[in-house]
Amino acid sequence: MNDSGQLYTIEGVAAAIMMVITAYLVISSASIFTPQEKHVAQMQLEQLGHDALVVMDTPRENGVQSNLSDAISSDKPEWFKANYSPLINTRTDGTQDTLNYSMSVFYWDSDTDSTKEIEFFNEWDYHRENAAKVTQWAYIESGTDRTAVLQDTIVLVEVLLWRD
Amino acid sequence: MARLNDSGQWIVMMGFIVSIAIFLLALVVAESAIVGKTTSESVLEFPKTDIQDLRSELMNLTWLELNPNYQDDIAKISLERKNAVVRYQLDQTGEVPILYIHYNNGITQYNEIYFED
Repeated sequence: MNDSGQLYTIEGVAAAIMMVITAYLVISSASIFTPQEKHVAQMQLEQLGHDALVVMDTPRENGVQSNLSDAISSDKPEWFKANYSPLINTRTDGTQDTLNYSMSVFYWDSDTDSTKEIEFFNEWDYHRENAAKVTQWAYIESGTDRTAVLQDTIVLVEVLLWRD
Repeated sequence: MARLNDSGQWIVMMGFIVSIAIFLLALVVAESAIVGKTTSESVLEFPKTDIQDLRSELMNLTWLELNPNYQDDIAKISLERKNAVVRYQLDQTGEVPILYIHYNNGITQYNEIYFED
């Protein structure tokens, strides 16, 4: 048996340990990506949701109500869904994205002097996913049924968005 | 004991240089991650859309000559749902109507005097 080269073996083992430690340090210092990506995702969610609300609140032509005001004043949550879902869930490859949302309407009740909420659209359960809240002001000329209290008034539309 | 072999020193030195370079690159990567985090945080914090929405709604309402009923509604709902102090006033005493807008959510303050030429 050749008994030379033990020092080289030890050196090799030491180098291997050093490389493993370096790799560990590199990976653990790069894992700061996780909280950062949460913020970026939330920012994108917020901008997407708000853009879609602005589109919905823009009337098709002068003198008509926007789709958003229309859905609220007619008390038709399904109209809201039919307009809002394509705006946020359409992908370029033809499949659907998995964003869920709920929508509430807030108005000022002068009789009780407080803010009142109408849970307008609430189809999916929210299980504390990472969510973004977007808002939009809307003018309601005359509501019906649940929104009958809204006559010639300004309401705040709040949408909670999350990825399922 | 075997005599020390002095060949292969270049390989050892290059190994050290490369490992140090990888370590420095890791520092750069970590730094860029922090930059992305603070950027998106400040985007989230700045109430750009709140101010835009308020402005556009008030511009629309100016056409309806700011029914005083809406005034309080927007200010009160803003305070309660967005923690933002909103004040506005339409001054129609001059030649052209002037719209004063004030927005303050504790972090960002925005004031505007708007009139159409």
